[in-house]
Amino acid sequence: MTAANLHVKKNKKRRDIAFPIVNTIILCLLMFVTLFPVLNTLAYSFNDGMDAVKGGIGIWPRVFSTDAYKELLADKAVYQAFWISLSKTVITTLLNLFWTSMLAYALSRKEYVLRKFITTVLVLTMYVNAGLIPNYLLISTTLKLSKSYWVYIIPTMFSCFNMIVIRTYILGLPEALVESARIDGAGDLRAFFQIILPLCLPVMATVALFVAVGSWNSWFDTYLYNGSKKNLYTLQYLLRMKLATTQNSSNAANSTADALASASRVAPITVRSAISVVSAVPILIVYPFLQKYFVTGMALGSVKG
Amino acid sequence: MSTVTKAQSPKALTPKKKAGFFQRLGRQWQLMIMSVPMLLYVLLFNYGPLWGWLTAFQDYQPKKGLAGSPWVGLDNFKFLFGREDFRLAIRNTLAMSVINLVLGTVSAVLLAVLLNEVRNRAFKRTVQTVTYLPHFLSMVIVVSMAQNIFASNGPINQLLVSLHLAKEPIFFLGKGEYFWWLVGVINVWKEVGWNTIIYIAAMTSIDPCLYEAASIDGAGRFQRILHVTLPGIKSTFMVLLIMNIGHLMEAGFEIQYLLRSGLTMKYSDTIDVFALIYSFGSSKPHYAYGTAAGMFKSVVGIILLFGANKIAQALDEDTLI
Amino acid sequence: MKKFIAILLTLCLILSLVPMALAEGAEPITVTVFRGDPGDQPTEDNKIYKKIEDELGIKFEIEFLAGNLDETLGLKIADDVYPDLFDGGNSAETLENAEVLIDLLPYISEEKTPNLYKHIYTNDRIKQLTTDDGKLYIIPNYGINYNDQIQNYCNGPAFFIQKQVIAWNNYQVPKTLNEYFDLIERFLAENPTTPDGTPYQGFAILCEGWRHFCLINPVQHLMGRPNDGEVLIDVNDPGFHTETFIDKPYAKAYYAKLNEEYHKGLISKDTFVMNYDQYIAALSNGTVLGMFDQTWDFGTATASLETSGMYANTYLALPLVYDPEYVDGKVIEEHYLNGTVMNKDRGFGISTSCKYPERMVQLMETLLSDEWQKTLQWGFEGEDYSVENGRMLMTREQYVNRSDAQWQRANQAKAIWESMPKKQGTMDDGNAWDPGNQPEIYFEQMSDYDKEFYSACGVKKPADFFNPPIELAPYGEAWQIDKAPIDIDYNDFLAIQDRWLPTIITCDPAELDANWDAFVAEITPSATVYTNFMQEQVLKLVEQATN
Repeated sequence: MTAANLHVKKNKKRRDIAFPIVNTIILCLLMFVTLFPVLNTLAYSFNDGMDAVKGGIGIWPRVFSTDAYKELLADKAVYQAFWISLSKTVITTLLNLFWTSMLAYALSRKEYVLRKFITTVLVLTMYVNAGLIPNYLLISTTLKLSKSYWVYIIPTMFSCFNMIVIRTYILGLPEALVESARIDGAGDLRAFFQIILPLCLPVMATVALFVAVGSWNSWFDTYLYNGSKKNLYTLQYLLRMKLATTQNSSNAANSTADALASASRVAPITVRSAISVVSAVPILIVYPFLQKYFVTGMALGSVKG
Repeated sequence: MSTVTKAQSPKALTPKKKAGFFQRLGRQWQLMIMSVPMLLYVLLFNYGPLWGWLTAFQDYQPKKGLAGSPWVGLDNFKFLFGREDFRLAIRNTLAMSVINLVLGTVSAVLLAVLLNEVRNRAFKRTVQTVTYLPHFLSMVIVVSMAQNIFASNGPINQLLVSLHLAKEPIFFLGKGEYFWWLVGVINVWKEVGWNTIIYIAAMTSIDPCLYEAASIDGAGRFQRILHVTLPGIKSTFMVLLIMNIGHLMEAGFEIQYLLRSGLTMKYSDTIDVFALIYSFGSSKPHYAYGTAAGMFKSVVGIILLFGANKIAQALDEDTLI
Repeated sequence: MKKFIAILLTLCLILSLVPMALAEGAEPITVTVFRGDPGDQPTEDNKIYKKIEDELGIKFEIEFLAGNLDETLGLKIADDVYPDLFDGGNSAETLENAEVLIDLLPYISEEKTPNLYKHIYTNDRIKQLTTDDGKLYIIPNYGINYNDQIQNYCNGPAFFIQKQVIAWNNYQVPKTLNEYFDLIERFLAENPTTPDGTPYQGFAILCEGWRHFCLINPVQHLMGRPNDGEVLIDVNDPGFHTETFIDKPYAKAYYAKLNEEYHKGLISKDTFVMNYDQYIAALSNGTVLGMFDQTWDFGTATASLETSGMYANTYLALPLVYDPEYVDGKVIEEHYLNGTVMNKDRGFGISTSCKYPERMVQLMETLLSDEWQKTLQWGFEGEDYSVENGRMLMTREQYVNRSDAQWQRANQAKAIWESMPKKQGTMDDGNAWDPGNQPEIYFEQMSDYDKEFYSACGVKKPADFFNPPIELAPYGEAWQIDKAPIDIDYNDFLAIQDRWLPTIITCDPAELDANWDAFVAEITPSATVYTNFMQEQVLKLVEQATN
């Protein structure tokens, strides 16, 4: 090994130490800035309602109380709503992944004669919005989907954004994969399901996360179509109703004495915080399982690192 | 393997140049199975309701319906463009979405690159998990916290004053000029972690051999980032950029609606805020104002989208369509 | 044989129950209900709804407001099927304008619906309730009193001040704007911070969204009128002269006073960008000495202060008026409390999609009977209240239960009761219709601090600081007038105030005149449209009421 070579190596080594340190510091700072408000929300959710109204709570509850959660979970309807939310999220995610990934593959094939036409039609859906009322009338009046479970599934089967994400990913894969499948005599359906789909796991995990989170968090469809069917309430809708109730409790009361007493139960800020926490928890449980796919590339990279 | 597919595949591989459109289409029946059902679906659910745009040219009243409501020509559009607050709303929408786009993209790419360089998997996972958490906080809570943090006696002003960076507390929340940037910063804080997900997924598709080859060529860390990581996510970046340029007319609704006050009104109201206030904000809904504003937004969005796509094509970059 | 008798008896029992269950002679129905307010779904075994189902054969499927009210109504109107019982909350005019509701008058008569008939025809109430073309779409949910009206405290608009400031001032209560701010200034000079060192804020102004009445409404009250919204009406003028007050010189006096107090440090800049939560937090901290508001608007803060034992930081409502110097030496008599105003256009309407309108009116009629009203407002005797010597009483536990959201879900028919026509005031036997107003209960709930405070001030209850309610003007209260025909101008009119008034309060005193003039110049066009419209409407209402 020559001296020059050694020098380069030393230099590189110093930089290799400096960067991770700086990087770690930056990321730790970022975590702090992010975490503070999140912990703050958590602290509020576990604080006594009346005390929380005074504000000024940091990252630790001042007067510990689980009243906000008790208030949320005391309602039996929460459990029914949880099942509705869970089942519709799973079904929507599966259907969405199935159709969207197939479509993404088809539109990634440059030889497909309808490619440009279909892509344009689909992409425009992200920008063309007929407005609230016509959409509402189509689903409610024309298709009669309102007041049913189907309204959660049928209108949400496709998302152009996700299709594009998958398509971009597929386009990044070597074309030779499909070509060789073709030489083996496979049609597009087989090429997709046997060759391409398994390679798409990271992007499928990403899209699954997007769809699942979107479906889990949505309350607008319940609000528009199923507001009168309490058996079909989703968790988010129910939580939102509670949010609205606690916000307005004071002006609905018709005498001060009533307002005083009702307010002494649960103050909005604690319930709202608890609602935020409860909404995030299911995703926090699912995320680690999907995260594995986001780091697969890194695993390979770290072998030589 | 069936003989049928055997017989078909060579043809599919080397299509005769002069094959007619329908002939080629017939050969691509598998691709059609994969794509046409969703095409029909989208035509029904996304294009079906477009008849509603006709009501932008009416004084639409639901009782009378599309057929019975009086036609008013371009009156609704004239009304919108005749209002100063609508013109301000267009300006605010564009300003805030450009700020959101630039800050949002830069921060997400930067964070994704930094995360990609972390070797300790547990740490990486922790940072990821922590940074996407704010995505789940409701906007009501986020805005409430932001109002406390940016208040005259809030932590940021205390810091600025104690470091002598400001003589007296800055009125972040009450000065219209700051409003756009405030929205930008809050959005970055809330979404930066979440936005990296897509870039990190894209980075996993980069062939590790490329990094190895770059190392062998003597590339340092920054060169590897510059020559391997960034080009590796370029197509994702370009596609997202084109998509977002088409969305420049969408700057959000909830955050502005929650953060606005009398003092900032001229800077805070987006087209969506305007549309809600004007179409439903009184005891007689003006459906047509909302529709007209929405239609205007869509049309501009489509023009921007095709423009961005054309430019990308001309630059030989990845395109959306 | 025994078995046979048992079966026979059971059969008899069932048969005798059936006609009871269907006493109204109609088959069981499920009624769809929309409520223009958020709320909680009742439990499946809610005792009141069960009683209604058993005795009247009516089940409810209730939808509560979840999003923006106006948007929700806009959507519901666009659909082709409406809920049977349709409550449009604070925007119910929208339903009337869209012709979604049926006219109730044909269903109401002295023979068929005596309770409802008495309810709306007594004192010529009907004249105020019907539309121009003589139709009645909604029977008011509140504001129709029987016998005496009980006024223990002011639930509406007033200037507020912390009780400790009054105590510090030897229980002397300010009567005018200058006295009020002078007192706060003096108190602040001696007590700049709370005992634990947090600075006091002299005067807070909530400006957020529809709650901006804290910013834009005070002037009419300072001029000696109850709440007419954004106009000042001369009730002594046969022509009921109506004008917007915000652009007048006498309004400038108020905002100039606020400007002066702002520069003295009584008002914080942040008050103009504060949201409702922060406002409530500040009040609950006990750091805000005074504000203009309505009592119900900050109930959460009062409750928080009381539970923390900070009674000295709770608020006293004051009926302030302008000092003579502001109004050409005139002495103004305060009139914050108004005669009971019917909550016109608020409550259930019956939609055109409803298949059994007659039964719905009959439902309103039945529920308005004394027995049902007692059940709806007080609950079941023995379970929710007791009667001693003819007085209806509640134990502390029974009273506190009423405010427990979980308890309400199982034991009150809140959603239906709130939107239905109801009896208020006092029963024929002298008990209050609303348990919260029953004197035994009201004084029982009052804290020791408050009892001492009020006796030191020489009054019995907070309402004693106010003049008794004045006679309601023939047009009612002008804020109830539907502004749909001039909605764009009306929105402008409000937005310009939202934008300018904070600027005027915070500007350099040297620029105050210029800013005020610019404000008046900008608001004049929309204010003119609004004034003319309101003048016309007021006269129309007066004519309706006196004809």
